[in-house]
Amino acid sequence: MKKYIFTAALALSVLTGCKDFLTEEPVLSQSDVLTLSTYEGLDKVTAGAYAPLASTAWYGGDFIIINEMKTGNGKKYIGSDFDTGRCTDWYNINYTPDNTSSLWGYGYYVITAANNVILNLEGKSDNQQDLNNLKAECLFLRALSHFDLVRTYAQPYNYTEDASHLGVPVITSVQAATDMPARETVAKVYGQIEADLLEAEKIIDPSYVRAGVKDTRSVVSLEAIQALLSRVYLYMGNWQGCADYATKVINSKKFSMWTADDLSFVNSENAAERATNYENFVYSFDSHSDGEVIFEVYGASGQSYGGGNEAICSLTSENQYGDAGACADLMGLYAEGDVRGTMFQSKLSEKDSRTVYWTAKYFGKGLTTPDYTNTIVLRLSEMYLNRAEAIYNGASISGASTSSDIRTITSNRGAADIPNPSISDIYGERRKELAWEGHEWFDLARTGRTMTRTDSDANAAANEVRPGDTRWAMPIPRRETTVNDNLEQNPGY
Amino acid sequence: MKKVKLFFTAMMVLLTAGLASAQSMEVKGTVRDAATGEPIPFASVVLHGTMTGVSTAEDGSYTLSVPSLDDAVLEFSFIGYRTTRVPVEGKLVVDCELEVDAMALEDVVVVAYGSTKREAMTGSVTAVDGETIASAPVTSVDKALGGKLAGVQVSTSTGQPGSSSSIRIRGISSINASNSPLWVVDGIPVLTGNFASSGVSDTQSDLLTSLNPNDIESITVLKDAAAAAVYGSRAANGVILVTTKSGKEGKAQFTARAKYGIQWFQSDTGYRMMTGEELLRYQRAAITNAGFDPDDPSGNYYRPMSLLNGELTNWLDHLTKLGQLQEYEISARGGTDKAKYFSSVSYHNNDGIVNGIDYSRIQARTNVDFKLLRNLDTGVRVNVAYTDQNNNIQTDGLGYENPFFGGLMILPWTPKYDENGNHNTNIPENSNKNPAASAEWNQQRIQTYRFNGTMFLKWEPVKNLVLETKNSAEVVFTEQRLFYNELAGYANQLQEVDNKIIQLTTSNTANYANVFGGYHSFRALVGQEATSYYQTQTYAAANAGVDPNIPYFNTADQTQTEISTGITRDALMSYFAIVDYNYDSRYFAQATVRTDGSSLFGAKKKWGLFWSVAGSWNINQEKFLRDFKPLDLLKVRLSYGVNGNNGIAAYKAYGVYASALYNGLTGFLPSTPENQELSWEKNATWNAGLDFAFFNRLRGSVDVYKRVTKDMLLDKNVPQTSGFSTNFVNVGSMSNTGVEIQMDGDIIATNDFLWNVGFNIAFNRTKVLDLGGVDKIEAGSFVHYVVGKSLYSYYLSDYYGVNPSNGEALWVTEDGKLTNQYSKARKHYCGSPEPKCTGGFNTTFSWKGLSLSAFFEFKGGNKIINLNELTYLSTDGKDVSVNQIASAGNFWTTPGQTGVNPKPVAGNTSNSNTALSDRWLEDGSYIRFKDITLSYNLPQTALDKIRVKGLRIYVSGLNLYTFSDASAFDPEAGVTGVVQGIYPYTKSVVGGIELTF
Repeated sequence: MKKYIFTAALALSVLTGCKDFLTEEPVLSQSDVLTLSTYEGLDKVTAGAYAPLASTAWYGGDFIIINEMKTGNGKKYIGSDFDTGRCTDWYNINYTPDNTSSLWGYGYYVITAANNVILNLEGKSDNQQDLNNLKAECLFLRALSHFDLVRTYAQPYNYTEDASHLGVPVITSVQAATDMPARETVAKVYGQIEADLLEAEKIIDPSYVRAGVKDTRSVVSLEAIQALLSRVYLYMGNWQGCADYATKVINSKKFSMWTADDLSFVNSENAAERATNYENFVYSFDSHSDGEVIFEVYGASGQSYGGGNEAICSLTSENQYGDAGACADLMGLYAEGDVRGTMFQSKLSEKDSRTVYWTAKYFGKGLTTPDYTNTIVLRLSEMYLNRAEAIYNGASISGASTSSDIRTITSNRGAADIPNPSISDIYGERRKELAWEGHEWFDLARTGRTMTRTDSDANAAANEVRPGDTRWAMPIPRRETTVNDNLEQNPGY
Repeated sequence: MKKVKLFFTAMMVLLTAGLASAQSMEVKGTVRDAATGEPIPFASVVLHGTMTGVSTAEDGSYTLSVPSLDDAVLEFSFIGYRTTRVPVEGKLVVDCELEVDAMALEDVVVVAYGSTKREAMTGSVTAVDGETIASAPVTSVDKALGGKLAGVQVSTSTGQPGSSSSIRIRGISSINASNSPLWVVDGIPVLTGNFASSGVSDTQSDLLTSLNPNDIESITVLKDAAAAAVYGSRAANGVILVTTKSGKEGKAQFTARAKYGIQWFQSDTGYRMMTGEELLRYQRAAITNAGFDPDDPSGNYYRPMSLLNGELTNWLDHLTKLGQLQEYEISARGGTDKAKYFSSVSYHNNDGIVNGIDYSRIQARTNVDFKLLRNLDTGVRVNVAYTDQNNNIQTDGLGYENPFFGGLMILPWTPKYDENGNHNTNIPENSNKNPAASAEWNQQRIQTYRFNGTMFLKWEPVKNLVLETKNSAEVVFTEQRLFYNELAGYANQLQEVDNKIIQLTTSNTANYANVFGGYHSFRALVGQEATSYYQTQTYAAANAGVDPNIPYFNTADQTQTEISTGITRDALMSYFAIVDYNYDSRYFAQATVRTDGSSLFGAKKKWGLFWSVAGSWNINQEKFLRDFKPLDLLKVRLSYGVNGNNGIAAYKAYGVYASALYNGLTGFLPSTPENQELSWEKNATWNAGLDFAFFNRLRGSVDVYKRVTKDMLLDKNVPQTSGFSTNFVNVGSMSNTGVEIQMDGDIIATNDFLWNVGFNIAFNRTKVLDLGGVDKIEAGSFVHYVVGKSLYSYYLSDYYGVNPSNGEALWVTEDGKLTNQYSKARKHYCGSPEPKCTGGFNTTFSWKGLSLSAFFEFKGGNKIINLNELTYLSTDGKDVSVNQIASAGNFWTTPGQTGVNPKPVAGNTSNSNTALSDRWLEDGSYIRFKDITLSYNLPQTALDKIRVKGLRIYVSGLNLYTFSDASAFDPEAGVTGVVQGIYPYTKSVVGGIELTF
């Protein structure tokens, strides 16, 4: 019997004596402290910080779709076989604080992840360049996030003379749940974006490419930083800066223009033919190692973000939801022989006997069940177009001119040469080239042009948006203004 | 249980016999049964107010010394009889006739860490004995509890065999932590709930199904804080104590049981799909109303009358079948004064009412007790079970494969089979899915292997002090498998999940009980408990390319595979104490305290303190009522206590990074913010109760309570600029208030004929008091938590009805006007799925060996909403490519009509069928005729001839009819009241035989 007592007593003392009995740490995730305390951890956080870019709220879907559907590039074929009820409010430019872009959460999530790296790098490696490369990547991601946020939720840079109107909160420090950051002016937001990109440009190893990735164009490089700077200066109206940085990218010679052959896409009812066309179509490549792409967002099955039925490849496909159609206003811009006019697919809607069109830029990596695609963010054509516009507006680059830059585009697209391009020619070429890549709405905004469309199923009010209209800035999600008293809502919502 | 009491009585007599004083007088007498006049041996005779007593001899006689003949009062008691006190009043011979106590079965009730006499209970406790549970022919014990106990609500969201049910004791107390009670089997808290991985299939596998209802001796439900608080951090939602049968001294007694039954599907509510004729009439009306010609072959809406010329199929008939249920069991019970045993083995099989659904279980139990020494006992309780469930098709939710949703949509003129005689999978209206084909070709299977083993050692080193240790291991292994075959229209996908759980528990107590000075009964218990839980899960998937002839990972396209691991560990450490005191069996008091440390909470808040105090007063034992014969029991109870809720997922307190996959790399992203302050939800409960019994016929109890949840765990919204959307924190508060009434009475009780009626009803109201500073939390698109309202409140567009002049749907706008535009409709709060009352009633007639019993369950005042089905199945013409429910055919045709569906218009965009509308909201009240059983016990004379001890044959009807007007096959819609493609309660008739020998 003593044995039993002994056993019981032993069991008791083992269980009670062991202090750690009540400590069970998660084994499939890693504590904050541990993650941020080593170079390896910070490297993994940097790799992870890209992941939300692929979410359907951002480059995996809505960020592109919302902004295209608000312009004459997009059309929702209401009542067609491909009307599943999606995209209606985007198409009608009908937003409320309860029904707005959800980019806010994703953008600040990436910014938080980037800040955690930037603020913890000090002394984590003997190799300063390794640390600098991580920091450059995170600075780029922070800048891109702030840029997309301020474009979405604020009026364009030139809405006020000194850009003193409301932008978005600028987050460069670790935030507690109780912190309630207010919106900074647009000038301050752009200032931070510019500063982040300039620093990143300065510290990154010019040959740096993150190791082990599937798509080397989906990670930050010196040229990606410079290309984004060119775009940011374009939006700020800093023409010389815009032209200088476009030139740096062009002169790097790392990128080459796609030709008319690369872009030709023949829509076909024949499945086998279609599959071949799709395989040779550069927009559908799983990863890019040459050609125009400077920075893209990689989409693939098994990733933590993106894909599925709400992805852009689903919403622009006859095989899935297909609510985000292409507008005749856009398709009518392409002259005969312009290969960009072929980059559309179509299908007859039996319910209302009309043909529905979609862009062919987001085929998805699975022809019959499209659910993942890459989304191009920065590419070489844009650099030529940025520079053409900047030079037109007074920038000067030796050896470059508006007409030569525009010619670089048209000559590779089977389009007619424009000898002496006017500003509307430049805008027109930009729209034709970058259609369905998320540019048009913001280009109209920053250049103070009116959005109009004629081929439309939308409400009348959504066929014209004049400069200064409150709809150029989307409402901040209500959940945010509810929990953050310092956050001012945009006028009109 | 009688044994327990006999043991205590004998102990008392032994202990007190020696204390008799030598100079006193002697009283003699005989104790007899009041009804039969037979002498009662071993009855206890005690001088009231002292510990002096004797037990009666074989012939019922006794001799007892008393100090004074004038003042002495003798107390006569025996198990199964009502205790009787007789004043000596100078007599030297005091005989006593004891009356049989109709409440005898309930005399001893299992409570937390022990058992108690019913009269000694201070908290709110209800009990149901094993026979009641076993007599209901159900698969698992939780299903048997529905409607049986006041305040215990059992709801299921599917009638699928082996599925789990939600048990709510006294309402719902938490938004994010668990609302399920703690189950304690033979003193050890066990795992319950659905352990199937929902990511793989919709199969539900409740661990409670591994418990054989026939093995259960009793179930006690601890409802208030006083009764449950000693279970501390897990007691917030009540505790269900299950005691399994143990061995009995005597020759081995075997019981063999066999049962067989059939099950079928039937709609009691009138909810059904249209026939071919009805549907065609409806479609043609909708098409004509839209300005098209249904007879134009070139039009988009060609619906000629000739569609009715081919074969028409009632798809629901085609997809359902007669189910079967069978169960076989043998158990043995016996023992000596040193060793006792109970063991059973059973097989249960249920073939569902749709193809591809079945459930089977093999289970065995061994309970053994040994008396090692005079003061040392040991024993084991072992249960092993294997269950095998096939749910090849989805049977709840909005799946194409669900016969109760997708199957309903298939058009009557769609052929069942293709030209080759195979299941037709060319069904565009149902995304080319045929539930019959999926049932045949797909596989969704879950097998569980479960072991529960407990060993105890009980030692009484000195008189009145008992030390006990219980050590238990619970091991669960589940294998889940899903294969989607190309023949059913899939890409040959395969998924497998293996789940392994080990829970170890040690429970150690020291109990001291004594009676001081004759009147002061005292018990004190201190204890310690520790539990560790470890779960690992392996998930593997091949998303395409598996060879259907060899449907295993070996044939999969290896580039399309995924694999992942899940690991969860948690630990709980507890110390507790209970003190009981009673004075003269009149005044009772109890206090409990428990402290729990849990690994689930923040480093600073691991330990929590829980406590309760309770008192009761047996008024009928007072002098002024003692002689009032009709009154058997009158007791008031009052209690208050605080217990906790730790029912949250592991690791919520840790700030962690989780893996993020992108561009071929596995990176890290912040996943949870750190919260070192995370702690328990607390429940503070008041309870006042009254127990009564009259005329040895009628008994009942009434309880009122209020429980307030504080420090409620909520996902509080935080600015996303912090990188997170929500923080999981202890804020918020809510309350449950209610009344429970339970009554039971023998209307007729003669020797041959007995008519018994029982009734229970409970009213509970929830109210949200605080949500951490916000007015509401949107739990879903239409269920909100709103401060000041009941927990679940529906928030829906305000549908007015049909416009009598043109048949359009009308909505009420924000300013109270009517509109035909859905987008202008106001949204309003319009009811709650929480029932205002729940309960049941039962009645039993017995005549000699024949017994007929019936049991009804009811629920009232709750709303249910069939929004997701009806938005597809009653579309007002919007969708003329799928079948519709019959009631959709009652639509507006002529001006002036109201109370009908809007005029159907093919392809309309009026949104009149939109899901988020109160149009689909309706009363969810029902009365369910749950069980009727006719049984016959063969009389002893006949049994003797065939040399058996007992033979019972019975036939039962289950769920034979449900009184409800719901627009659903069954009004049972789970806790949130949402009907969507539910495998309904099936009707069954079961016959069985029980043989004891």
